Parts: sequence; C-alpha cells; structure tokens
Amino acid sequence: MVIWGGFVIIFQHIASNAKKLVFSAESALIFKGDLSTMSIRTFKGGAHPPERKDRSGGKPIERLTSVPQVVIPVNQHFGAPIQPLVKVGEFVKAGQKIADAEGRMTVPLHASVAGVVKKIEPRMQSNNTEGLCIVIEPKDPPEGESAQDFMPPLDPFACTKEEALARIRAAGIVGMGGAGFPAHVKLAPTKPISYVIANAAECEPYLTIDERTLIETPEKIVDGVAIVMKTVNAPEGVIAIEENKKHAIPYVQKAIDQSPQVKAGMKIRIQELKTKYPQGGEKMLITAITGKQVPSGGLPMDVGCVVSNVGTLCAIVDAFREGKPLIERGFTVTGGACKTPKNLVAPIGTLISDLVKANVVETDEESLAKVIFGGPMMGVAVPSYEIPVQKNTSGVLLMSKEEAMQYEEETCIRCGRCIRACPTAVSPALLAIAIESGNYAEAEKIGLLDCIECGSCSFVCPAHRHLVQRFRVGKQVLRALKQKEAQNVR
Amino acid sequence: MSDRKLLLSSSPHVFSPVDTPRIMLSVVIALMPATAYGIYLYGLPALGVVVTSIAAAVVSEFLFRKLIKASMTVGDFSAVVSGLLLALILPPSTPLWMVALGAIFAIVIAKEFFGGLGANPFNPALIGRAFLLMSFPAAITSWSMPKGLGLPADALSAATPLNLLKQGNALADVAKYFGASDTGAFYRQLFMGYRSGSIGESSILLVLLGGLFLLGIGVIQWIVPVSVLASTFVFSWLLGMDPVLGLLTGGIVFGAFFMATDYATRPLTPYGQAIFGIGIGLITVLIRKFGGYPEGVTYAILIMNILTPFLNKLRVKKYGFVPPPKPAKPSKEATK
Repeated sequence: MVIWGGFVIIFQHIASNAKKLVFSAESALIFKGDLSTMSIRTFKGGAHPPERKDRSGGKPIERLTSVPQVVIPVNQHFGAPIQPLVKVGEFVKAGQKIADAEGRMTVPLHASVAGVVKKIEPRMQSNNTEGLCIVIEPKDPPEGESAQDFMPPLDPFACTKEEALARIRAAGIVGMGGAGFPAHVKLAPTKPISYVIANAAECEPYLTIDERTLIETPEKIVDGVAIVMKTVNAPEGVIAIEENKKHAIPYVQKAIDQSPQVKAGMKIRIQELKTKYPQGGEKMLITAITGKQVPSGGLPMDVGCVVSNVGTLCAIVDAFREGKPLIERGFTVTGGACKTPKNLVAPIGTLISDLVKANVVETDEESLAKVIFGGPMMGVAVPSYEIPVQKNTSGVLLMSKEEAMQYEEETCIRCGRCIRACPTAVSPALLAIAIESGNYAEAEKIGLLDCIECGSCSFVCPAHRHLVQRFRVGKQVLRALKQKEAQNVR
Repeated sequence: MSDRKLLLSSSPHVFSPVDTPRIMLSVVIALMPATAYGIYLYGLPALGVVVTSIAAAVVSEFLFRKLIKASMTVGDFSAVVSGLLLALILPPSTPLWMVALGAIFAIVIAKEFFGGLGANPFNPALIGRAFLLMSFPAAITSWSMPKGLGLPADALSAATPLNLLKQGNALADVAKYFGASDTGAFYRQLFMGYRSGSIGESSILLVLLGGLFLLGIGVIQWIVPVSVLASTFVFSWLLGMDPVLGLLTGGIVFGAFFMATDYATRPLTPYGQAIFGIGIGLITVLIRKFGGYPEGVTYAILIMNILTPFLNKLRVKKYGFVPPPKPAKPSKEATK
C-alpha cells in the first residue's frame, strides 16, 4: 500500500516536473543576439505555479455602472503623499480632481463617480494598512449640470512631449500592474530609450484581466504603445504576451496591422514568451526581450527600456482621446470560493463587499478562507471584503480552504530549489541564513536589495520556509541600518 | 461576513506540492531496484542488514527527538533514507548488531547532534560506515560471493575486484576470478552487477537507473554526479589506472548519485557543486592509487563535505550584477 501510494506521488511529481525540466534546459541557453526573430523567449529561473486562469479567462469584461458608494484612498501611488481638495458635503463630478499636491513624485486623484462627499476618514486599504479615504455617495448632479468633468481630448501625436506628460499626470495615471509608480515620471526617462514594452505577460496565476483586454480592446493597447513610443522617442514597441495567451495574439496582430501609426512607419511587434512565473516582472521581461539585465539598483531606462502594463496603456489612451482621468479599472474576481469568476471594470473605490451584496460576485461562504488583493504569488491577504478597488488592483481572489494552504515552517533541507527558481539569482537559501544570523553585510553582498519579492523561492520550498517574508523584513532592517550608518558618518 | 475569520498571511499564497517527505520518498523509490537486486544476490543476510539499518535509524531518531523534546521529524522519511543508504554501502555479511550500531551513530551523532535534517555537516550514512570501518575493520572489509557464481562459497574469503587489483593482480586474472572469459566480458559483468561488494553498489545499471530517475524528476541535479564521474575517469586515466574499470568497480557510481548529492552536505551553488564533484573524484582516485584502502569514495565524500561551507561562497552572479568600482589606479585613465 505504502509503496503504491509512493508511486502515485512520484508519478504526480514527474508530471509536475516534466515541464520544468524542458524549461530549465531551454533557459540555460540564454540567448544573446538577433532581436528580430519571433522565437519564444524567457529568462533564467522562475517557477510554475498552477495557473487556474480558465475560470475567468473566457468571460468578457463586464462594466459595472452603479455602485452604492465609493471609498477612494487618497494615496494610491508610489511617491510623496497628496492632500484632499474637497470637503465633506461637497458635490463632486465624475473625473473631478479631489486630491493633489505639488511635487514630481505625486499624481492627482479624481472622483470616480458623481456624488456627494460623505466622509473623509482613515479606512482599510488593499495594502492592509489604514489610510485616508474619501467616501462618495453617488447622486445625480444639480439641474442643468453635467455629471462628468473630463478634460478636453488631446491629440497625442500633435502635442509636445511636455504637454503629453502634463496630460498623463493630470489624468492621475500610475502603473496599474501593481507598483503604482507615477506614469509621468516613468515616461520622462533621462536616458535614450530603444524599446517600449507593453507588459501583457500576466504571469500571476488566476488573473485574466490583461488577457481579456488583449482580446477585447487590442487597438487601444497598440494606440497606447504608439503614444508612449512617441512620448519617450523610442524606435520600437513590443507587446509581450505569455504563451498561455496565444489565442489573443491574432487579435493584437490585427490591431497592429490596422493601426494608423504603424501604417505611418512606427515599428510595433508581438513577442511571445514562455509561460513561467515571474515572466511579467519588469526585469525578467526586459531580459527575455532584449537579453540585457537591468543593473543592480538601476532602472529599466538604464538598458533603454520602458515597460508599461496594458491596463496603464489603456488608461493613457483614455486620458488623451477622451480626456478621461484614471477613475475606473479592470480587474479579475476569481478563486475557488468565488461562484462567479469574472472580469470586471468598476469605478476606483468600489468596495468588494458592495459587489458581494449586489450579487455581482457570488461567494461560497462555506469554503471561503482568504481574500487576496492581487495575484496569489504577490498579492496581499486582507482581513475583510470591505476594501476598495484601487488603481493598482489587478484582481481580487476569494480563495477556498483547499487553495489557501497553510503550512508549518520546517527546517531547510538545502535542496537548492530556491536557488534555481530565483529569477534574480540571489541564492535565497544562503540569503536566509545570512539574515537569520543577523549578518546584514553578507546579506547585502548576496543581493538582498536585488530581491524582487516575487515569491518563487517560497513557492518551490519543500520545507515551506518563509523565505520572501524574511527578505521583506530583512530589506527594511538593512535600509534602516544603512540610514543609521549614514547619520553616524555625518 | 464580519464575524468570520479570514486567513492572513504574507504572499505567496500558493505552494508547490513537492514537500520534504515526497522528496525523501522518491529517493527511497530510486534505491528500490538496487536494494532488491542486492537482496537477490546475497539473500537473507542482506535483507537483514537493510531492515536492521532502517529500523535502527528511524527508532534512534524518534527516541532522540523525544529525549531532547524537539519537534518530531520522523515523518519526513529522512531517517529511512539514511538507514537505507547505510545498509546499501555495507557488506552483506555485516553482523546485525554492528549495522544497528552504525545506524544509531549515523543518526544520533552525525545528524541529530548537529541539529537534525539539513544541519549536519557530514553525510550521516557515510559517517556510519566510516565509524564501522574504523571500529571493526575486519567485518566491514570481508565480502560475500554472490550466489550462483560457481566460485568457492566461503563467505569470508571473497574479495572485491578493487581488493584484488590493490593486491597487485592483473586485470585478466581478476576477470578470471569472477568467471569472465576476457576483460570485455568482465566489464559487462561489472556493469550488470555480478560481483562481490556492498549490498547496493553491485549493479551499475540499477544504480544508474535510480540516479537517472532522480535526475528526471528533478530531485537531484546533474552537476554533482557528472563532475564526480568525469573527474574519477580523468584522474584514473592520468594516474595510469584503467578509467573504465575505475567507474565500474567500487562504489563511485552509487556515491556519485546517492551520496555526493545529499542535500545538506553538498554545496548549494553550481560552481561549488562542480568543484565538490571534481574533488571527490580526485580524492577517490588518490586513495585507490596510493592509500591503504582499496576503495576511497567514503572518505573522499566526507573530506569534500568539510569544504562545503566554503564552496557555498562561490555564488553565481546575481541578476544585474555591477562590479564594485575599483580604486582608481594613479597612472591609468580616471574612472567615473
């Protein structure tokens, strides 16, 4: 019996590893050279978490029009904080600026619905901390007034670079793939750019919103790439798509062929990538496409690249063509405890609890064990449904008990799986040892600050070590130590 | 909704199904063909050694962890693997009490004293064998003839091919001793595993099969076994020994796939692993050529185990590695 059980386990093991073997053999031969070939590319390392994209992958994007309230976190971007510009009781139009501040690393915030400001108070945000939020209750505008307050359209190919960047900032656009980095900063590189890369890899399991965007509005993505290429003055645009979204490629190719900018001579192409996590990580994407590595501590522009998520590109297109600021976004709601996996477009600030109450999302309350904002590899587990959709929310996962596995941490058996999985080659096992022994100088040397926190090491660890968790804490400790050191020197 | 408790944990939220017990179990399964063949060759005594070794290893780990009130780790099958490995590198005629002693020494002294699984600096099974070899040299170096070879069946007078070669016998005579007509047939016989030796190392074919299985499912990686075998071949040849025979006899193939690849005691980094493997091959050949023992795989691996922490310093370059700025040389052009 035991032997037979063992064999069953081993067969499963073979099945789960066969794919990986092929990949590792291929990724060992990391290419350098001709960039025009249409071969399928990838990076070294990585993991193969279960994809489970079929649940929501075939569902067209639904547009949510009416919500009972929106709770809009004031600070949703990476950078300096901004302040509310409205008062409680004030009527705001959809698209009206409701918070802003001076400073390069800031973006303004806009009301996502027309209505009355009910409260301005700290609420739980999707990063699991409390932050100032503006609560708006939808209401019809006073007689004779429009419910919308959009900017006038602007032709991106006729305006200057400064005008374009100002428009992107005014629209409050941040990186919508997860980081929330202000787009107008990213699109003002100080180094020459050779590639604009549209990130449609969507390597996070479960999520399908980028896939649906590729299928439903490919022309918007192509337009977005063209606008960014014009803004950063790049000769080539690449739309990067993972192999598991192959079926979307014909739509995108058609959109490229029909694009007036491409007809006028702009060079935009599709690059197919291996389905491997974290293929959509900015650095991994750049390495897969250009063969270059972003230098440690550097930015994509150091190797001549600008990478933008497809959601961000669509938001940029809307900002120019319709004058519409970033007030709504697409995201995937899925998971084992979600009876209605789907792709939604909803106003920023929509509470998931309201979606559940309105039966837009049906849950299996019995099996629900975990709610995650983002994907299962890098997303944040939150304590309740009452969390708003933010500018960087790419998905909401309702995980069932079976999916939300919890493991005891065991001792490291030094199998080296994490070392092979690490896309940044920072030897997680050795890094963890250095951190546990408090040797932060060694940890920094190994590459603690180069860790992208993708979670591949924790995923593959047979002892379920909390590797990436250690690195997150370790980074903060190391930064604090360095700061202290700098102060002492001064 | 509000009264229900949701799980909160740091990402990632999904995990690979490959866990420690599964890895250990796959090693056990990989060793099954060689074990079964050993029992077929040497009969009940071999079965006794295997069972005793595994039982002693598991029980001693259980009792020791109980004694020091540590978490129970018997469920991870690592003691089973250590016990089985120890049995497979012992002569089939080893007295069972010695086997038990060796297994207890391997688990308690070589593994648990250092903190248990993953923390031991030396391969427990090899420590167990080295301990027995030093304590009872006569018992651990007397070999049984496989059944049905048509040779003198005196259990304690048989010799391994390496023994005979060490004593200065010509290869042709050694071949004749094992009933092979010429050296080619002798090589084939060695490869298939019809010779005297430790329980598990006889059949190169079955050991290779198990090793390739582990490689195939990704439990071990190719660098260590390949570098061990390649360096054994090259150094044997350089020192004027028959390189093919060097691989086919003794425990080098078994050691390369099942001992040198032991997670806790081999280096973690690719470059470290390559040097580790080359070192094992070199030391094995040196012991075979110049040492007092006919076979040196055990000590070769144990010696290289000592270097593992240092070899771990040979890391691969991290992604986006930027070489630290060198101090500007006075005469050369100024660096930025």
